[in-house]
Amino acid sequence: MPASSGAGVTRTPRCAEKVRLMTELIAARGLTKRFDSLAAVHEVDFRVNAGQTSGIIGPNGSGKTTLFNLLSGYFTPTAGVISFQGRDITQAPPHARVALGIARTFQLVSVFTSLTVWENLVLANLRFQPGETSPGRFFFRTARRARILAECAKALEWVGLADQAGAGVDELSYGDKRMLEIGIVASLKPRLLLLDEPLAGLSDHEIGRVVDMIQGIRKRVTVVIIEHKISKIVDLVERLSVMNEGRLICEGSPDDVLCNPQVRECYWGKEGEAC
Amino acid sequence: MKPTDGFFCRGIRPASPWGLGRELALIAAALFLLSLVIKVHWMTDFIIFIIFVLSFDLLYGYMGRLSFGHMLYFGTGAYGTALWLVYGGKDPLAALAVGLVAAAALAAVLGLIVMRTHGASFALINMAFNEIGHFVVQSPLAGLTHGEDGLSCSAGKLFGVINFYKDEWAFVVTAATLLAVFALLRVLTSSPYGLLVRSIKENEKRVKFLGFSTFRYKWVTFVIASTVAALAGGMFTLVQGFVSPRVISPFGNVDVIFAVLIGGAGGLYGALIGGMVFMLIKNFLPVMIPELSKLLNVKLPQWEMWLGIVLLIVVFSVRKGIVGTIRAQWQARRPSGSPT
Repeated sequence: MPASSGAGVTRTPRCAEKVRLMTELIAARGLTKRFDSLAAVHEVDFRVNAGQTSGIIGPNGSGKTTLFNLLSGYFTPTAGVISFQGRDITQAPPHARVALGIARTFQLVSVFTSLTVWENLVLANLRFQPGETSPGRFFFRTARRARILAECAKALEWVGLADQAGAGVDELSYGDKRMLEIGIVASLKPRLLLLDEPLAGLSDHEIGRVVDMIQGIRKRVTVVIIEHKISKIVDLVERLSVMNEGRLICEGSPDDVLCNPQVRECYWGKEGEAC
Repeated sequence: MKPTDGFFCRGIRPASPWGLGRELALIAAALFLLSLVIKVHWMTDFIIFIIFVLSFDLLYGYMGRLSFGHMLYFGTGAYGTALWLVYGGKDPLAALAVGLVAAAALAAVLGLIVMRTHGASFALINMAFNEIGHFVVQSPLAGLTHGEDGLSCSAGKLFGVINFYKDEWAFVVTAATLLAVFALLRVLTSSPYGLLVRSIKENEKRVKFLGFSTFRYKWVTFVIASTVAALAGGMFTLVQGFVSPRVISPFGNVDVIFAVLIGGAGGLYGALIGGMVFMLIKNFLPVMIPELSKLLNVKLPQWEMWLGIVLLIVVFSVRKGIVGTIRAQWQARRPSGSPT
């Protein structure tokens, strides 16, 4: 792991510093995104350690999704630096970040509704298979190869849509689309998975299934989840960050964060009960 | 059914040699049967137009980029071929190659610009380049192209036997070219690349977040579509022995857009059927209307108006085109999720 380069360390790393760099997967420093005069994200320092599952909560319009858009490359920041595994990726386009291992889902499910379930999984499954995107194969062969079929079958099984492989995605329920989307991003073999409100709009039964999927992924992949409702992810995350009005106002273990008076005020107002 | 069984996807058909061979045999048979009832030299014209429509279908039908300037590449292919025949040599293959290379090079350069735009700006920037091309052929290059007067040229025999100015040979060569183009596009569109292109049509942002540099693939698609259009243009020159600025006129774009909409975009067969139906309307209505007018003793409007009415019907009630509508009907009869 390139521990010494590009992490913005000016003094000689001490032992603790070295350990920090070893475990740090993504780090944003002084991240700011302005839309005209509005600072959607304002001087946010955010970092995630490898293997850690974190959650970001905050009221509507607090800048959570904008932060994801900056980390995943959908926006370039007005100011600040983002590094991934010690590499500066502030200016890298989305596809380059995916190649490095950053995958994301979207607040509104983003899958290809004009394709079948199986077709949705194919591109994701062959993108990072060695040799599959070579011109000869990519342009002139079908995707109907045993290896791709096997990978897709595994992913289909995992998202629980094996019996709907040939169905058009436009025929799926919203919850099934959400699971398909998570299946697609998991197929990209990411190191870091950014899930933007994965539970929003789902029934209780579907929430259970998606939580199970996330529990499965977090064993292999570092996961960051945005969620509006705290209760749904408290048990899922080891670390919780709270955003409000574009700023990161509090960070720590879920219990500590939920007892923080500032957080209680922004969520429940001044009358918020003491912890 | 296990997912690994295979046949459960709409787009990725098995591009096995057998499946493709059957499709090609079917098209060849249809062309042959049509040539029995339609004059052979008309059929040749129709086929050249259908090749052009196929190239447009890749760009618009599959990738969802509507261009108002595709004639630029048809015209570049046509003029490249003609200029070589006049000033270079008589070998038809060399002339065709010059046309194709010229159009591919032009598309490669302009593609870097136009593929950064989408929607209305993409359509219009292409039209702007098409206008420039039309002008360049008429004025600055008039010394070479003879401007509005057009350029006569004649090609030697292909492989020493095939004479382009014999109707039967011209039909056979253009039909073979159509089959080759269809095969190429069928293979391309049933590959992962074809899937990628259809995904870009629906949601380019999502494709970027699958780790693909979409610009690269959009550019490649533009160059392929333009080169195939140039092939149609080159064949036009070889068969007609004459080119005029009409072959690069932006007005021609209307024809190809009509044809794709009538047939149904994004499935190759839509381009085949749409191209055929459009050419039948365009060629038979002008003949039939005066006769019908005489017969009914009323003055019927010009054929363009009837074409307009057909298009209105397509846009308002047959939005998927002829082939798209038939396919939708057929799929609706099958239970969802079953093999297609």
